[in-house]
Amino acid sequence: MDIDMSHNTPTPQRRARLAVIYGFVSSRHWTFKVGALLLAAVLAMVFFAPWIAPYDPGAQNLIHRLQPPSASHWLGTDHLGRDVLSRLIVGGQFTVTVAAITVVFSLVVGTLIGVIAGRVGGLVDEVAMRVVDLLISVPDVVVAIFLIGVFGSNYFTLILSLTLVGWTPFARLARALAKEVNSREYIRAAEVLGMRRSFVIFRHIIPNTIRPIAAVSFLRFGHKLITVGGLSYLGLGVQPPNPDWGLMLAEAQPYLERVPLLMIAPGAVIFIAALSVTWMGHGMEIERRRTGKQDKS
Amino acid sequence: MRKIVLQRFTILLVMLFLVSVVAFCLPLLSGGDPARAIMLSRVSDMNLAPEAVEALRRELGLDRPLMAQYLSWLGSALQGDFGYSFATRQPVSAEIGRALGVSIILALSALGVALVVALPLGTMAAMRPGGKVDGFTTLLIQTLVATPEYWFAPVSILIFAIWLGFLPSAGWESWQSLILPAMALMLRPMAYFTQVTRAAMRDVLEAPYITAARARGLSMNQAVLHHGVRNGSMPVVTFFALWFAGLLGGAVVIEVIFAVPGMGRLLYEAVVNRDVPMLQGGFVAIVGLSIVINTIADVLYVVINPAMRGSHGH
Repeated sequence: MDIDMSHNTPTPQRRARLAVIYGFVSSRHWTFKVGALLLAAVLAMVFFAPWIAPYDPGAQNLIHRLQPPSASHWLGTDHLGRDVLSRLIVGGQFTVTVAAITVVFSLVVGTLIGVIAGRVGGLVDEVAMRVVDLLISVPDVVVAIFLIGVFGSNYFTLILSLTLVGWTPFARLARALAKEVNSREYIRAAEVLGMRRSFVIFRHIIPNTIRPIAAVSFLRFGHKLITVGGLSYLGLGVQPPNPDWGLMLAEAQPYLERVPLLMIAPGAVIFIAALSVTWMGHGMEIERRRTGKQDKS
Repeated sequence: MRKIVLQRFTILLVMLFLVSVVAFCLPLLSGGDPARAIMLSRVSDMNLAPEAVEALRRELGLDRPLMAQYLSWLGSALQGDFGYSFATRQPVSAEIGRALGVSIILALSALGVALVVALPLGTMAAMRPGGKVDGFTTLLIQTLVATPEYWFAPVSILIFAIWLGFLPSAGWESWQSLILPAMALMLRPMAYFTQVTRAAMRDVLEAPYITAARARGLSMNQAVLHHGVRNGSMPVVTFFALWFAGLLGGAVVIEVIFAVPGMGRLLYEAVVNRDVPMLQGGFVAIVGLSIVINTIADVLYVVINPAMRGSHGH
């Protein structure tokens, strides 16, 4: 797994400089690279959807419904004669947007709470961690369903409900990292110099948490993609006739036997999207562990 | 130790109080007039006479101050009375009890199988880090984590129920109808269990007592079996409790797909039907239970393993 893929081996100095420039992007682990490539493809597809999609995703053609793949419709057509490929290309916007925003919010809230708990300690730490312990097992789908039941389904409800429990893993990790950094000399130095608490947290502790938290963010992003897709699947996300991966899966259900591709295709896209970020996160974790070992020795 | 246990229970009580407040406020948050909603659920006539609504409001005590309403709601909730479902007109607590039983069976079978696969797999992966088993395990974990269960489930229905035809595609009649939902449900816990086992066993195998056992002449396999597994499975047990609590209500998608009458589907239907009493009861049951299970697991962990006092299991 440690194979160096570049043929022109750079000098150590140059490599160090590159590492600084690219930060965690320069991670050489192959799973990260493959994952990043896949994610880039998925994101490009989602962003440029209106220009890439060969057909209007909403255009119905009841004469040509449930068609098998052909030269004009690469993935065939659905029960209303709509082009499956076009719907797949356009259908990621909701899921990817909600998942991404949720992860960013969870990351910010969780990291702040975790770092403050780890830095301040005492009662604040105790209370924050007990809350994390208890919330961490509450499934986000359940919270989302309750809030959707009360407020109805929209971007705001979904993001709020997924963030309500989504911050907990970040808080736990950030706290552990903050505790670790707390014992370093430069923190003592900053304390002795009379630096303000907020300065120490933002200048010294948060930068130290960024890399591990970035790795976890990717893993959580994959998880959120699946959760949001599941809510759409249940009809609690995007409403028909809008194209959406989860919704397409649900709509394909009655035609499971006749046209399995209708169900397999959108699922495969969610799978690939989730797998790409999982691989990126995994690659970063391996990188971190490797550099961590070097630090210790 | 007593201090820790007391403290955990204090926090548990505070959290349960918060859960009850949130549950009580659910219908208020949804903005509608509760008396009107109840009336609508009884007579599906949109032109309600305002006098009738007022009368019902007085009858149900909905004109009292919120605090008094909360206390009387809490009083009956503590006795297990969450009112009647708008949709089925059955007592909410009875429906929840039935659904919980189904979900417990489903969750335990899925997690049980997941554990049986994960423990040996994680242990084998940990014994030779970077080896073939380890590589395969890592790949498997990532694939399972990224697999949407609402994709795996229809595919498994297609293969086992439609093409091969030896398993029922939906329902909850015999033990066979348990197989497909449990299979779909165990994917992600299996991945996480394997990961946790692997990490825990890596730590254990580096411990001095394994070296000592090896020095006494035990083979690696013997050392792992006699000394490693028990210690390495501790974190997995905590994890099991966490997942169990989560799956009691969290298997919504799977229960809906396979028409399993569990907690998840109950909640889903409550949302679809705008069934407020059912939502309240479900909220208290699921969130309350997961908090209680978690506290119990936490306290047991502290009781069983005094070395873990103070630190947090990491």
